[in-house]
Amino acid sequence: MSCEKYNELIEKYLNADIEDTELDELKEHSLQCASCHKKFEHIGRFEDIVKSAFSSATTAGQASDSILSKLPATRVVSDPAAMFSKQMAVAASIFLAVGLLSGYGLARLNADKQIAVPTTAKVPMKVARLEGTVLVKHQNSDLWYPLMPASGIYVGDTFHSTAKSAFVLELEDKSTIELNQNSMLVLRLYNGGTQFHLEHGKLAAALESPHPPFFVSTPHGRVEALGTEFTVTVE
Amino acid sequence: MPDKSNIAADDEKLIEATLQGDISSFGIIVERYWDMVIAFALSRINNATDAEDIAQESFLKAYSQLHRLRNPSRFAGWLSKITVQQCVNHIRKNAHKRIASSYTTYDVDASAQAVAFNSNPGLTDEQICFVRQTVSRLPEKFHKVIIMRFVAGLSAVQIAKQLGKRHGTVRVWLHRAYQILRKDLVSLFEEVK
Repeated sequence: MSCEKYNELIEKYLNADIEDTELDELKEHSLQCASCHKKFEHIGRFEDIVKSAFSSATTAGQASDSILSKLPATRVVSDPAAMFSKQMAVAASIFLAVGLLSGYGLARLNADKQIAVPTTAKVPMKVARLEGTVLVKHQNSDLWYPLMPASGIYVGDTFHSTAKSAFVLELEDKSTIELNQNSMLVLRLYNGGTQFHLEHGKLAAALESPHPPFFVSTPHGRVEALGTEFTVTVE
Repeated sequence: MPDKSNIAADDEKLIEATLQGDISSFGIIVERYWDMVIAFALSRINNATDAEDIAQESFLKAYSQLHRLRNPSRFAGWLSKITVQQCVNHIRKNAHKRIASSYTTYDVDASAQAVAFNSNPGLTDEQICFVRQTVSRLPEKFHKVIIMRFVAGLSAVQIAKQLGKRHGTVRVWLHRAYQILRKDLVSLFEEVK
């Protein structure tokens, strides 16, 4: 009897990639084939031995209860100072720079520490991909907080991608805007629509074809998309 | 445990819920990966109580750093790195007390005294230490896939997703690791027959 097929199934069993029907087939075969039975049975014994050797007196359920009792009552999202030990320094410096550029007074630093409720309209965009830590600040707010995959996007939002971070905004027509690391993007209201303003860093846009006139503004001027894919870099 | 192919997606949902303040979702994550984290800790620290402390610290650290996780579908891989780092920190902190254990200083006789628990009456403390020592001596990538496959119960497909590796690569690692351990643990298999 050729065991080639069953050797493959034993390998799949080792990888835990085996289907239930295949497992039944293997079990049935192993009853008749001593060689395959030995290999098959050995994996099961091996699993038992490894599990036993690395087991804990504390069950997963007990561990879960114990760990949950040690967690803070609420997550620290409402207090970015506690949430971002390292990134806070970066966020603070960006906040200061943006504050100075847009004429914010230093008195605003003492603003309420709760997450700001957006006061502007939601725009039909969503976060399609998010890597690392991207900070967002709503218009008329001084507070930066982390962008989440389910976060709503609002007119006037400012996004800052930290080192080794990036995110993709998906527009209503499935066009995408990707912000690279160490970049800052502002969604500005312009002629009744949303304009992308790249303050610094790098942005890559992939537009659906055909698309209406599409601009990205920068501190040095406006860039118009003529094709469907382009990147803008502001040093 | 959710369906094999959906575990990463399920992790993502639980992590998202945790980030939005649902602590009970993190409890499910702890239950899912407790055995795996304990195994990673026990393969570096030969004291059961210390290993449990490290496992708890690893989950607490993961919770506090959850917003930094770039790809939630790789949570288990990320958690294993945190656990390894916690072990390294523990070993450094306790180096002066000479209680640190490493791959090269894992003393079976001494370790047997330190095994505070043995949930399997089929294995003696010495045998448990022997298995831990043998698994710990594997190259890091082999060691990781063995724990994820045989302790956490993840499939090669799931491990590949969690580690950001190709399925074929993980299959080869698992195969090689299993062959090495099969050979190294042959005496134990004879003993516990």
